Amino acid sequence: MSILTNGEPGKRYLLMGNEAIARGALEAGVSVCAGYPGTPSSEIIESLSKVAGNRNLYVEWSTNEKVSMEVAAAASFAGLRAMCPMKQNGVNVGSDFLLHLALSGTRGGMVIVPCDDPGALSSINEGESRQFARLLEVPLLEPGDFQEAKGITRWAFELSEELHSMVFVRSVTRLSHASGNVEFGELPQVNPKAGFKHDGFILDEMEGIITSAPVDYKHGLQHAKLKKAVERFENSPFNTYQGPEHPELILVTSSACNFYCREAIGLLDAGDRVGLLKLATTWPLPPKLIEKYLSMTDRFFVVEEVIPFTEENLKILAQEMAPRIGIKTIMGKRDGKLPMVGELNPDIVTQALAGLLGLEYKPQPDDYVQRSREIVTRAPNRELTFCPGCPHRASFWTINNVLKMDNRQGFVCGDIGCYTLSTLPTGFSASKTLHAMGSGTGVASGFGKLKQFGMDQPVLSVCGDSTFFASALPALFNAVHNQSDITMVLLDNSGTAMTGFQTHPGLKTGAMGQEVPAISIEAVCRSIGAKVKISDPFDIESTRNALFELLEENGVNVLILKQICTLSPEKKAKKKFEVRVMAEKCLGESCGCGRLCTRIFRCPGLIWNKDKGKAEINDVICIGCGVCGSICPNAAIEKKEVA
Amino acid sequence: MTNIQLSQDPYNLIIAGVGGQGNVLASRVVGNMLSRKGLTVTIGETFGGTQRGGSVMSHLRISSGSAFSPLIPRGKADMIIGLEPTDTLRVLGTYGNPDVKTICNMRPIHPVQVISGEPSYPDLEDAKNWIRELSRDAWFLDATDVAMEMGAAILGNIILIGALAGLNELPLDREDFENAIGLTFSGEKVQVNLAAYDKGIEMIARNGR
Amino acid sequence: MQVYGSKELVEDVLNKDLCIGCGACVDLCPYFKTYKGKTAMIFPCTVQQGRCHAYCPKTESDLTELSMSLFGKPYDGSPMGHHEKILIARAGDKVHPAPFQAGGAVSALVTFAMKNGMVDAAVLTGRTGLIPYAELVTESESVARFTTSKYMAAPTLSAFNQGVKQGFQKIGVVGTPCQMTALAQMSINPLHTENFKDSVALKIGLFCTWALDTRKLAAYLSSRLDITGIKAMDIPPPPAEILVLDMGGKTIEIPLSEIRPLVPRTCLLCPDMTSEWADVSVGVLEGEPKFNTLIIRTRTGQDLVDKAVAQGFLTIREMPAVNLDHLSAAASNKKKRALAGAMEEGLLNTAENGKRAMMRIEKAVVERILA
Ligand SMILES: Cc1cc2nc3c(=O)[nH]c(=O)nc-3n(C[C@H](O)[C@H](O)[C@H](O)COP(=O)(O)OP(=O)(O)OC[C@H]3O[C@@H](n4cnc5c(N)ncnc54)[C@H](O)[C@@H]3O)c2cc1C
Ligand code: SF4
Ligand code: SF4
Ligand code: SF4
Repeated sequence: MSILTNGEPGKRYLLMGNEAIARGALEAGVSVCAGYPGTPSSEIIESLSKVAGNRNLYVEWSTNEKVSMEVAAAASFAGLRAMCPMKQNGVNVGSDFLLHLALSGTRGGMVIVPCDDPGALSSINEGESRQFARLLEVPLLEPGDFQEAKGITRWAFELSEELHSMVFVRSVTRLSHASGNVEFGELPQVNPKAGFKHDGFILDEMEGIITSAPVDYKHGLQHAKLKKAVERFENSPFNTYQGPEHPELILVTSSACNFYCREAIGLLDAGDRVGLLKLATTWPLPPKLIEKYLSMTDRFFVVEEVIPFTEENLKILAQEMAPRIGIKTIMGKRDGKLPMVGELNPDIVTQALAGLLGLEYKPQPDDYVQRSREIVTRAPNRELTFCPGCPHRASFWTINNVLKMDNRQGFVCGDIGCYTLSTLPTGFSASKTLHAMGSGTGVASGFGKLKQFGMDQPVLSVCGDSTFFASALPALFNAVHNQSDITMVLLDNSGTAMTGFQTHPGLKTGAMGQEVPAISIEAVCRSIGAKVKISDPFDIESTRNALFELLEENGVNVLILKQICTLSPEKKAKKKFEVRVMAEKCLGESCGCGRLCTRIFRCPGLIWNKDKGKAEINDVICIGCGVCGSICPNAAIEKKEVA
Repeated sequence: MTNIQLSQDPYNLIIAGVGGQGNVLASRVVGNMLSRKGLTVTIGETFGGTQRGGSVMSHLRISSGSAFSPLIPRGKADMIIGLEPTDTLRVLGTYGNPDVKTICNMRPIHPVQVISGEPSYPDLEDAKNWIRELSRDAWFLDATDVAMEMGAAILGNIILIGALAGLNELPLDREDFENAIGLTFSGEKVQVNLAAYDKGIEMIARNGR
Repeated sequence: MQVYGSKELVEDVLNKDLCIGCGACVDLCPYFKTYKGKTAMIFPCTVQQGRCHAYCPKTESDLTELSMSLFGKPYDGSPMGHHEKILIARAGDKVHPAPFQAGGAVSALVTFAMKNGMVDAAVLTGRTGLIPYAELVTESESVARFTTSKYMAAPTLSAFNQGVKQGFQKIGVVGTPCQMTALAQMSINPLHTENFKDSVALKIGLFCTWALDTRKLAAYLSSRLDITGIKAMDIPPPPAEILVLDMGGKTIEIPLSEIRPLVPRTCLLCPDMTSEWADVSVGVLEGEPKFNTLIIRTRTGQDLVDKAVAQGFLTIREMPAVNLDHLSAAASNKKKRALAGAMEEGLLNTAENGKRAMMRIEKAVVERILA
């Protein structure tokens, strides 16, 4: 019942960028789509999984990005069209495979869709996947609006199939997670038959074996493919120019920055002074097309996120063409006209362009700015926090308390998931290192070997259930095999909660809703010889005892804290307890409490009533987990089980 | 694509609130309603942890022409729908201007710092005055309270959509609403949402409850 | 006595390694916790004047104030503190024989006080493996589970705090001199709380030259033997110079020279050997391992001993003068060592520049002690 397959060709629908990419893949007749959840990419697979049944698709959430690429590549090898979406750092995870895939070539159309996150809106990095296209030497396409997100994705499959090379379609948060109107094309009637040909001539791309060797031959072939790609790029309708024939300045842009440039030109009413060259085929740049626009004027301003990628590539071409077209001034990030870090927006681009055009731009009247600034300081900021009733708050509460009581400067190596917030006060600042998926346990494994050098601090790592399968396992194996002394706390909330409850190998349901075998985390850990304990983080006391016991043990220990995420569809809106603060027992600010619940525990379901000097429960927000009832030092928070 | 004349083109609408208030759904519903009229709608979302107590803001660019940036430029909002008073103030500070109109739900959601008793939450009468000061017109609704009476706090967002429709600034009609809400809900839930929508129209006419 | 909050307690005691882990601050509130002999603060607290700081024996204890309040006279620095009588004692026939540390006078007095209704609960110190723990006991039959000394700093007073929370109003406590100091500080209502009620009904103090750091001792012993097999431990009076471990069947002797490095530095700055703030104080008796030295200090103490003797729970006899001399010399040595150390570290009497000390004693008295 999804618009994606129900919508009528020729009509326009409001789609999220990720849905537009999914529709593009459907219009291209995609058969297999595999990925690993990660904001801002997840909705591509999610929306495809909903229509898998009626389009005969195979959609899976793979264990991690590298595996998803391998799964998608197999489909391509068998002649099917395959797509593999991921968040930016997913490309890093699979880059070893991609490096070889670039050389080995592909058969059925194979499209990799990295969704970058400039400004790290929902990441802890703002890595650039475009750099990978250049590194791997594969074609890169960047849609500049919603319609293009669909159209370019569709085209990418054709291009890939023609070149026998994977193609990158790069999106960004502001496109993937924004929505716009998209006109639908036809859905093809496809019924492909999969088959892997492997006994033809060994070097035959379509019938021989698929590998990156012999490298010199395959690398040569790859360059021939790139050359062909450039030929196609020269005439691509997705590269557009808008503006006067003899502009003072040309803005060169791609992706979401296309919107900002258009906005800036509009706001400054500069449409007759500047041109806008929006590029969709950003690597390799098509030289003839570039030469044509470089010849139109002398000043260029490259607007892109995040690194000066096109700026640099453009400068290389401009230098090569200089004998014919003269010396050009190419501005952008390298000269500081635009910031090197963070995301851009219409305001940054407008101000920068105004500067280049000698204009002044004031978005709000001065007195309005002045007065609103005064007023806004009165609105308290919103700090990130775990949800009301989040199991992580309870888990980190206990982890913190145990480490503090243990009193040996123990610490947590953090990891990626909602529980990344444990570096902040909402997680009692328990996590002290934070890097890639699975790195918490890897780093812990290293710390756990430093006794030899006099380090006697207890070492903990935390890891979510999805992260466990995605990338913590090798680290855990490493710790066991190398006899590191660590305790891994597995925060098992039964789903990839952060990105919206996608499935993972520990669960009984697959991406398309089908029943699949669930792998037991506990059994895996036990089988490799780790000591395992399981506890419910809402049961503060037994969790504390379990953790204390494990801290006494050498070697690798695993504490599985099982409690389903508050937001999970299964749990939503079901209150376990009716909770109430008994004002007469609440100690408030006085010695003996000092507002533990609202000052330290800080579940958003609790309110500090300053006038009364008592804590209260906010009925709209409290989800009735009852944990605050067990942390109150004076048993002033009463919880009654809801029938 | 359409010959609808908007009072501003693009018409810039912001729906702002706190994660979990149903702000994303609201913007999607309004977007779909207007798309059905043939308008071009771009929605951008800005969030600091959508479901984790952070501020969430949707930008809607509504045009009879082409797609606009999913981010509204500073000072360029035409209408702000605030699901929470202090978030409304913050949005006004960045996107407001002397001509902006504001509809604000007066149910506060305390940020954790306030819960923890550090900064205090401003007095609601003050907040109203400030919102008035920064807007050309402002309407204040107790949408969450009414929504709770109707059975679920989350309906507050739908009440505000109804309120927006009631102002007749944009071509929003009930049939389009029913259709758009039907993309997400079915059966009884559609009826509940329709009731909330109607309530919103009623409330804005009375400017309050 | 100047009372501050937890911030100062952490700065002045925990961070300076002066905490003995007595448990006086533990479980009063959610912030101070004890684990394996160590006290830790798990979250910051913002209360400006707290019981934690007021009760801690290692924040500036004003000995004159305590003496005035408990005994109605100024602190004079005499080696064994204010007392009425010093006797030799041991458990009487009415007490079930148990493996007492020495004469069992402590267990006898606690049992009697419970039976007789003088206390409704008693705070005693047990041991799991090597780790001491505190427990609030409400039945006299349970007292026998807690006999023998655990020669380690123990969080005994945490159980007292729990008892108060549970509403007990007549609690008896057995503890070391530092713990008695904490209880004395509680009893003078240092925060001037309205409707203040002192829940301590009986203070039985132990003699103490030093205690051992629980974690250090555990680490030391576990590399040499199976610590779960330790049945009892003893430090016989001089000149033995050994720690004796009863391993159930065999005994292991460890020279004190090996053990002394495991004494926390805070014990070396402690001036009290005989629990001067207790109602009665009990130690071993030189030369007769199955007897106790007993010091009666207060009316409460005198009353308890009289009744216990009358009802066959305790037997007493006179203390020979030579024992008294030795005891006095030992107690005086401890005082001298502590005061000299505290002075050197600037921990005696809060200075004019505001540098906070750990005890307060009149200058003249200090001079007398050190003379
Ligand atoms: C750390 C320590 C150091 C000591 N140093 C000396 C000394 O230098 N000279 C001397 O004469 N006597 C010392 N004693 C006292 C002595 O060991 C006996 O406890 C005392 O003589 C009472 O003997 P008893 O047979 O009556 O005890 P029992 O009837 O066996 O009862 C022992 C009592 O001691 C309590 N207790 C045991 N361990 C601890 C502890 N760590 N903290 C608080 N309470 C505890 C128990 O609750 C129990 O009630 C010390 C005791 C301790 C705990
Ligand atoms: S019961 Fe307490 S901890 Fe749980 S959600 Fe409600 S207020 Fe928060
Ligand atoms: S009261 Fe006891 S446990 Fe607490 S800080 Fe002072 S010495 Fe340490
Ligand atoms: S020497 Fe003093 S501080 Fe140390 S345990 Fe004995 S009484 Fe406490």
